[in-house]
Amino acid sequence: MRSHFVPRTRDGWIGTIVFLALFALTQPPLVFLVANRIEPRIFGVPFLYMYLLVMYVGMIGVLIWVARRGV
Amino acid sequence: MEPWVVATSSIFAYLAVTIVLGVVANRRMAVNLEDFLLYGRRAGFIVLYLTVVATYHSAFAFLGSGGFFYTHGIGFWVAGAWTILVGAITYVLGSRIWALGKRFGYITPADMLADFYESEAVRVVVAVVSVLFTILYIQVQAQGLGYILSVASGERISFELGTFILLIVAAAYLMAGGLRAVYWTDVIQGIWMYVAVWAGAIVITYKLFGGPVSLWRRVVAERPDLLTAPGPHGFFSPGMWFGMVVVLSFGIVFQPHIMIRYYTAASARTIKWLGATTPIFLMTLYIPATFIGLGGALEMPDLGIPDRIFPELLFQHAPAWLTGIILAGATAAAMSTLDSILHSNMTVLTRDIYQRYVAPRATESHYILVGRVIVMILLGVGWILSANTFDFLVVLVSLSGAGALQLMPAIVGVCFPSQYILTRAGILSGIAVGLITLYITLTVTPHPLGLHGGVWSLLTNTMTVLIVSRTTARPSYQTVQRIHGEIERFVYGSEQASS
Repeated sequence: MRSHFVPRTRDGWIGTIVFLALFALTQPPLVFLVANRIEPRIFGVPFLYMYLLVMYVGMIGVLIWVARRGV
Repeated sequence: MEPWVVATSSIFAYLAVTIVLGVVANRRMAVNLEDFLLYGRRAGFIVLYLTVVATYHSAFAFLGSGGFFYTHGIGFWVAGAWTILVGAITYVLGSRIWALGKRFGYITPADMLADFYESEAVRVVVAVVSVLFTILYIQVQAQGLGYILSVASGERISFELGTFILLIVAAAYLMAGGLRAVYWTDVIQGIWMYVAVWAGAIVITYKLFGGPVSLWRRVVAERPDLLTAPGPHGFFSPGMWFGMVVVLSFGIVFQPHIMIRYYTAASARTIKWLGATTPIFLMTLYIPATFIGLGGALEMPDLGIPDRIFPELLFQHAPAWLTGIILAGATAAAMSTLDSILHSNMTVLTRDIYQRYVAPRATESHYILVGRVIVMILLGVGWILSANTFDFLVVLVSLSGAGALQLMPAIVGVCFPSQYILTRAGILSGIAVGLITLYITLTVTPHPLGLHGGVWSLLTNTMTVLIVSRTTARPSYQTVQRIHGEIERFVYGSEQASS
């Protein structure tokens, strides 16, 4: 039986790669290298907090996209 | 009216509602095990959504998360990452677990694993791990409940009595209506806790600071150490950051009270949308917790017990009626987790131990009666554990978050077909090595090299499983084809098309 660890469809590949890329951006070492600071503040919110919020919204967006695509 | 009267009355009004729901659920219940233990496998999206989020978020999310922001700053916002991972795991693994449960009639996690690995030893070990590492949460939630009721009543109701009252209520509606009662009460509890924590945070933020932007401005000016990782005490190091994400996503999802919920979904579409959207609730609950924790750090910097920051702010700055409603929400958060753990432990002990080894041919009504007796026993155990302090419990509780994580290789081996088939000897030795590693890396030499002990245990577990599985007997070809074939059909529609 073919492995289920590797996506077989185009949508599966896109969803997996984008989700993992966004997830990697929320984890060490990337988050500590690029986002671990207060400035610039966005709408008054410290950069680290807003950066993570944007990544989280992106990851939820990917999950909803794959659900809509029926992956 | 005094704040403690309003707060205590609100909590008791809430408890009365849960009892009524338990009675109504009892009248709707059919006398069969699937209905009592699995809601008849027909939970729709809204009910399943609210029970999963209410179960996932416990007293810790309501009280402890504010305390974490208070002490360690916005490093705790990493919580968003693990809640989203919970959604992704539900989408990918939960839907496969649902498909196997529906096809082969599984009720517990051990049912699935014992069937695939063709091993009663796997069944018993998984059942023991499931119960051992979640029964401790009964103690944690019960203590949280006793604490909430004690605080709400201005310590007129003792901690021990508060714990006892709330344990009795949770056990009563569970015994009356089974999982249906748990699900119905979770619907109310999920909504209540979400509205309560947001309402409390908004009121406090506007009353004390004039709004979130002003709050952020003051934190930047007065406590900038709270606004970057690793935080003022160095807690959120890279290793701890990543480790908490792994342990509090996979480690929680593989606990029986969450896994059993996957079996109960009405359809695959229900569970996939559940996975896609639960992170919205789970993640956004930590936003008001941020305001509470950071606002508290400015207003009450010398609080002895950080977890008390939310109720302390409420009692000082919120109207009595709102404080009451919010503390009832905290009660809901703890009870929704407590009832689910009581239910899952009852299910595992009834199904995996009693039905399998004590009375295999009894009637369905007999098993339901036994399940109710087990709940009463768990109630007694939970109360004794929560009312006393045992040194060994401190150790076990520190292990519990990562305990269910040791089931991960076994579950992935069932749900993800590949050329590499895991074996029962591999799984059992992996769990043993993982638990030993967990004990060492959480209690003897905590978090070696700054990496969370749970991650170390998962690494050694997985390596052991892979190595041992290379040299030991696989499950039979027929079993692998039957179960992996079902996964193949569920995910891709046709087994032959991709064989």
